[in-house]
Amino acid sequence: MQAKHNGATRFATAGLTQIVLAGYTLLALFPIALIIINSLKSRAGIFDDPLALPNSETFSLIGFEKVLHSSHFTLYFGNSLIVTITSLVLILLFGAMAAWALAEYRFKGSRILALFFAFGIMVPIRLGTVSILKLMVSLQLVNTLTALVLVYVAQGLPLAIMILSEFMQQIPKELKEAARCDGVGEFKIFFQVVLPLIRPAVATVAVFTMVPIWNDLWFPLILAPGDDTKTVTLGVQQFIGQYVTNWNAVLASLTLAVLPVLIMYVFFSRQLIRGITAGAVK
Amino acid sequence: MKRTFPWHIAVFLAPAFVIYAVFSAFPLIDTLRLSFFTTSDSGAQSWAGLLNYHTLLGDPNWSEGFWNAMRNNVKFFLIHMCIQNPLGLLLAALMSTKGVKFAKAYQTAIFLPTLLSVVIIGFIWQLILSPLWGVSEKMLGWVHLQDFFAPWLGQEETALYTLSLMSVWQFVGIPMMLIYAALIAIPDEIIEAAYVEGASAWRIFWTIRVPLILPTLGLTTILTFVGNFNAFDLIYSVKGALAGPNFSTDILGTYFYRAFFGYQSQIGSPTMGAAVATMMFLVILGGVAVYFYFIQRKLQRFSF
Amino acid sequence: MSHVSLKNLTKSYDGKTNVLSGINLEINDGEFVVLVGPSGCGKSTLLRMVCGLEEITAGDLEIDRARVNDLPPALRGIAMVFQSYALYPHMSVYKNMAFGLKVAGKDKAEADVRIRNAARILKIDHLLERLPRELSGGQRQRVAIGRAIVREPKLFLFDEPLSNLDAALRVQTRLEIAKLHRELQATIVYVTHDQVEAMTLGDKIVVMHDGLIQQAGSPLELYQQPANLFVATFIGSPKMNLLEGVVEVAEADHLIVNLAGGQRVRADVYGGNTAVGDRVNVGIRAEHLWEDDNGSERFSGVVDLVEHLGESNFLYLTLSTGQAMVVRGHGDREVKIGDAINISAPSAAFHVFDRDGNACKRLKPGNMIAAKRVHA
Repeated sequence: MQAKHNGATRFATAGLTQIVLAGYTLLALFPIALIIINSLKSRAGIFDDPLALPNSETFSLIGFEKVLHSSHFTLYFGNSLIVTITSLVLILLFGAMAAWALAEYRFKGSRILALFFAFGIMVPIRLGTVSILKLMVSLQLVNTLTALVLVYVAQGLPLAIMILSEFMQQIPKELKEAARCDGVGEFKIFFQVVLPLIRPAVATVAVFTMVPIWNDLWFPLILAPGDDTKTVTLGVQQFIGQYVTNWNAVLASLTLAVLPVLIMYVFFSRQLIRGITAGAVK
Repeated sequence: MKRTFPWHIAVFLAPAFVIYAVFSAFPLIDTLRLSFFTTSDSGAQSWAGLLNYHTLLGDPNWSEGFWNAMRNNVKFFLIHMCIQNPLGLLLAALMSTKGVKFAKAYQTAIFLPTLLSVVIIGFIWQLILSPLWGVSEKMLGWVHLQDFFAPWLGQEETALYTLSLMSVWQFVGIPMMLIYAALIAIPDEIIEAAYVEGASAWRIFWTIRVPLILPTLGLTTILTFVGNFNAFDLIYSVKGALAGPNFSTDILGTYFYRAFFGYQSQIGSPTMGAAVATMMFLVILGGVAVYFYFIQRKLQRFSF
Repeated sequence: MSHVSLKNLTKSYDGKTNVLSGINLEINDGEFVVLVGPSGCGKSTLLRMVCGLEEITAGDLEIDRARVNDLPPALRGIAMVFQSYALYPHMSVYKNMAFGLKVAGKDKAEADVRIRNAARILKIDHLLERLPRELSGGQRQRVAIGRAIVREPKLFLFDEPLSNLDAALRVQTRLEIAKLHRELQATIVYVTHDQVEAMTLGDKIVVMHDGLIQQAGSPLELYQQPANLFVATFIGSPKMNLLEGVVEVAEADHLIVNLAGGQRVRADVYGGNTAVGDRVNVGIRAEHLWEDDNGSERFSGVVDLVEHLGESNFLYLTLSTGQAMVVRGHGDREVKIGDAINISAPSAAFHVFDRDGNACKRLKPGNMIAAKRVHA
């Protein structure tokens, strides 16, 4: 943009910018890298030189063996996957439907209903935990994944509805009117015209909803702490509490918890960042 | 024209409405209601008026812990406001400067910790700061600061600050991304116009760019506020429900958990839990109300 | 006094391909220079180089004989009016105009005098406390100009300032800019892609294409003596008719060209640079063709399409020799599709472009006006 008026100054500014950004990036990545590197080392290797990469002498997978043998890590992982994906699908489907109703139709109470949903964006669902637990007890859903899914859907809906309805308002009127003129029913319009059009927004909502669900500790701890229903976040938390002195196992369990997210991020970071940037501009 | 009942609208709304109402809105209202009841030893609940609040704010056994948690929570929030958001602004400003190389790569990397579970982040830092392992001490040694090292997480005076900084480290990506998005939405020509008029980069930043992103700064403030007064996972996974040492890292979230489920000799009480939750609700509602009525109204959104 | 010279200005982003190459231009004090050309021709880049928003890869930019390549915009004594106006959205009109003066450390009282003066000239005195979003497009435009005026620059730069306005407002603002130029006696460089804007505003028009100046001159020069095929077809509406042919006779004061289809045309152009047998393009503007046999060069054709503009109409013909041609006819005359008509033009009206597209100098360009008057 700006012309080079004083080459040296500009060079220095650019250099300083790079130093600050690269420095902070290092700070952001270093802890994660340190854990992963040390999870691949023997106990001696971990303590002798924590900052060294594993070599033939210090390389060891003993921590991973311990984790996979003495905990149901794969089960927890599966639980997390089931809960996250089921919640996500329901949030997107129900959220899109409700968003469409609020964005498209004017009816008595539509404003109040929109406000009712918007309330949930700002007020955390955790504050209702006492009653949620009571409710789940009476529905006999404690220690089931269903309980988690229901709570997470309720938690994710408000934001999903807000983002999606803002997006739906931008769908050109002509498109819907053309469909109506052709005699297409309201449901068909939603599923065949509207849903395909809002795909980019769906991706944004998916990220915003998925991450907190996958990472949540609170509700698994309270609603589903049973051994069969633990999620990976809770599983890791309790495993580490139990094996706190087994450094290999602790590092390995942390690495196992980080890796899926890391791999997903490598593939989807671009869409994700674009989604956040686009969503935030509005 | 005779209108039939709009069944399709009802069908579109019903699933979301039912789930949200039953599992979010109702529990919240029910929690507020429960806070006016008391639980007997047999588990039966009976109307108690403001008794729980009287206990919470008047009984030293409760009130000391409550105000301690509140104070800590305010500190927790202020540290985020003073470090996380300015840092996010700085990083976003640097990234959004024209011609900065690798901006996307930095963004991706700095945002990564945000996606990881707070539990994992807590443990990672716990290991790194552990005197047993000695990584931090060793690295401080590189700059001859090894004597400065202390078991920060274990000391009453430093534990809360250390945890706050861990949280800042994890979540700085969120204000950074929001502010970045707002900054790049400012048209180039406006910045160029100021440049042509002789304004320095520093002046352009403070008199043009920052005023234009004030709404976003307001938004990050309220998001930080709600997130901080609702926090729990980090303290719980690093310090446990007791938020030690000696409750020095106790915040409202952990206090709520103990009130609800009990700890050591004290038995958990759903109704006391509900009372604490109601207090948290009021704090958050107050913050949100201040934001909407005083801040957001004053800040105009600029469409370019 | 301000005088600007562009000496061999070159712009390259990658060091290999030039976006602009060897631009030479002199801008005199008080001159209104319009850079015009199709999008992507480099005109905006050139303006931004003069402004200081784009680095100059090679060559010299001089303002009042001083080399300013390395000066930041504010020290070059220029002011720029942006296409999007680029008003600061959070500042009132007054503050928008005051910003640059404040940055320059100007005395508040003096700034106030300048701002009120500019606001009076632009008739925006009553808007000073408003925010940009409370203004109409035309008012924002004035504020943008006002912001430039208060800085009392040696040189004003306008980057397509009318393109965000609707058609009616564009004409009105165009007139106002012309008036302002006269009042302020300002030196202006103005970029546009619109040839009407260029012709009506410019003292000097610089036609650009492919990163090169195709021709620089007064509006009339460009119209009468286009230097090459590009300028000939870019200036004027509808586009100049072009007919391919081969030179049959080449004299100093005329050429006779044998057109494809067998017809011959005499053109009063300098033929010294052309040889018999050369392939050339003969050009004739629609408005220089008559709907009768009075001109020395005659064509006949069939009307394919008529566009009625009221005072005149455009007749799209297929000539008996097969080529297409547009004629501007008199609006009152009724012509129907399918009509066979004769058209003609004096030999002075024709342009000839050699194989490389360069024009042979027309010898009696002004004669057209006289000829037309006699004809009417």
